Amino acid sequence: MEARIVNKGQLSELLDKLAKDYDLIAPIQEETVTLFRKISGAKDAFLEYTNSDISPKGCFLPQNEKTLSYMYTGDTLEIDKPEGAKKTVLFGARPCDIKAILTLDPVFEGEKFGDEYYSSKRESTVIIGLSCSKVLSTCFCYAFEGGPCDGTGSDLLFTEIGDKYYVEVNTEKGKALADAYSQIFSSQGADQLAKDKEELAKKLAGEFVRKVDLTGVKELLDKNFELAYWSGDDQKKCIGCGTCTYVCPTCHCFDIFDYTTGDFNGDRLRCWDSCMYPEYTLCAGGHNPRPTRKERVRNRFMHKLKYHLDRYNMVGCVGCGRCVKKCPVNIDITKIINDLKEVAQNA
Amino acid sequence: MLKRLLEYVGFEPGRFQARWISGSEGAKFASTIKDMTEKIKSLGPNKKMRDDIL
Amino acid sequence: MMDVIQQLREQAKKLLEEKKVDLVIGFGQGTELARTTPVFIDSPEGVSKLTWGPFCANNLAKYLTDYKNAPGNIAVVVKGCDSRSINRLLDDNQISRDKVVIIGVPCSGQLEWQKVAAEIKPGASLKETADNGDSFSVKTDAGDYKFDKKDYLLHRCLVCENPNPVVSDLTIGKEQPVKNYEDRFAEVQALEQMSTEEKNAYWDKQFSRCLRCYACRNVCSVCTCQICVFDQMLPMWVSKRTNLSENTAFHLTRAFHVAGRCVDCGECDRVCPMDIPLRKLNQKIHKDLGDLFESPTPGTKPGLASPLGEFSPGDPEEFM
Repeated sequence: MEARIVNKGQLSELLDKLAKDYDLIAPIQEETVTLFRKISGAKDAFLEYTNSDISPKGCFLPQNEKTLSYMYTGDTLEIDKPEGAKKTVLFGARPCDIKAILTLDPVFEGEKFGDEYYSSKRESTVIIGLSCSKVLSTCFCYAFEGGPCDGTGSDLLFTEIGDKYYVEVNTEKGKALADAYSQIFSSQGADQLAKDKEELAKKLAGEFVRKVDLTGVKELLDKNFELAYWSGDDQKKCIGCGTCTYVCPTCHCFDIFDYTTGDFNGDRLRCWDSCMYPEYTLCAGGHNPRPTRKERVRNRFMHKLKYHLDRYNMVGCVGCGRCVKKCPVNIDITKIINDLKEVAQNA
Repeated sequence: MLKRLLEYVGFEPGRFQARWISGSEGAKFASTIKDMTEKIKSLGPNKKMRDDIL
Repeated sequence: MMDVIQQLREQAKKLLEEKKVDLVIGFGQGTELARTTPVFIDSPEGVSKLTWGPFCANNLAKYLTDYKNAPGNIAVVVKGCDSRSINRLLDDNQISRDKVVIIGVPCSGQLEWQKVAAEIKPGASLKETADNGDSFSVKTDAGDYKFDKKDYLLHRCLVCENPNPVVSDLTIGKEQPVKNYEDRFAEVQALEQMSTEEKNAYWDKQFSRCLRCYACRNVCSVCTCQICVFDQMLPMWVSKRTNLSENTAFHLTRAFHVAGRCVDCGECDRVCPMDIPLRKLNQKIHKDLGDLFESPTPGTKPGLASPLGEFSPGDPEEFM
């Protein structure tokens, strides 16, 4: 694998250039919240974050997306589709969030049901990852074969070492970008930093404090749709908001509806939806197959720990810890995993 | 209360007006509406909460 | 705090053993050192889960309406601010007084868990907490810490109106001194002073960040509608689309729907994942209710009429 070096002092130059040549999406800080937005240059970027409050999944699956607009002009109906995605660089995504994009890929790029809106953005985007320099008490990416310095899924992975970034070139797309800015990406002395990066990865791997053990959990859920466990405290304390699903980097449910702006003109929109909302499964005629919080809480965790595995052979959680941190009542997926493991052992 | 809240979040004072007029107060109704129309016209088009197209 | 925890457990055990209640809703240790989580205890053996300390931010009165139609009685642990919710729920006929046993715990403030967690060694476990007046000491197996209240308290606790429960069946712990805050509405006043353009820019920036996860609505103890206006599909008053216009409509409607009933517990503000200062909206309404109708914070006394729900000939008549 190839590697390069970028001096920290040159990062602003790189970001300014990228912002000029591409749509550049990078973490920014708005008041106390870190989120990903399109930026116009290095001055807007905020890279001293541990884990953004909102993941960059919106680059590929925006919370609001126009899929088409329609105009009815008396006797003809015109339909306009938005143009394909622009050349984009996603800079500064953490390894867990990049892994989350890999878990979204089979959903939107499956052979049977490809989604052109998603794949057009996916194809035209170069993902530049940024290794973590700190492990939070809510982090548990190691449990899903991820790691704070794991480059899986990224085109380029930046790792901060002293006053330099060690840059791993993971794909052809990444190589092309590094070559295009060869005055910034130097290839000299990169080998020496490889060892430093290994050491950093090893050091950070030892800093995880959350113990998560998935042994037997999938098998238990395979055999048992109904478990007494789901009637326990978690569904009682859940307040039914959508925070966990909206901050989750792998949640991908959406709702499609028309937004009429004139008599017969309007847009067809695709917007995030959440399985925690009561009307999410509400059918015409009034029947709701997930009538109470018990079924809705169960569904969320079944999706993460079983359904996604069944369909795509990938766990639907990457261990970013956002839901753990943001849940108003401290419902914690790591506790649920460990509890289920115990249920499996005692069964 | 609502008027105060709306002005607190950035609506211009006078953009929202409420008046209590009985069905028998035709003249008051006419003059109130006249005043309201003038006031609103002088404020110009509302900019707050416009439906932006995606 | 150990004696409070001990008494809490004893009282809860007694209530369950004597079958005075079927369920005790209280605080239990959460999955982070500086967090608690609501616990639902239905047997005397379960009371060891109960805890108390400076990490009990949640308003548990929220859950009472879930058990409105369930058989049996319920005991609930409340702080001063939460107890205002109970008065409000009683006045709204949302719960019946004889179904609820209120365990009040005087509170000397709640700490913001993220701020505390940032200081404490990850993975440490909590041994004990103690109140030193101006600060809390937190003893853990990885060392002892001290947190100054003025820096670490939740925003809402800095201007606490009722440190002691305003309604309770049994009170556990020492009564706390009540302070009078003259600058309770300082932040609202600062915003009021701004020009229309500045106010507009300030709130547009806040509302545009909203994800519409509805945590603020769902955590609210006085949001008791069975079907919320924002969940209605026909007609769809606000759509799932999140743009400034829809978000503003949501926030103004939410704040106004609880006007006169909001007890200022500050939970909406605490749970917002995007840190939108929602309490500044609700507090504006509180301030105006006080200015216009001399109305105290809802829930501070039982039987307080809702200022927007009754008419008195002395009411100001700005719209005549």
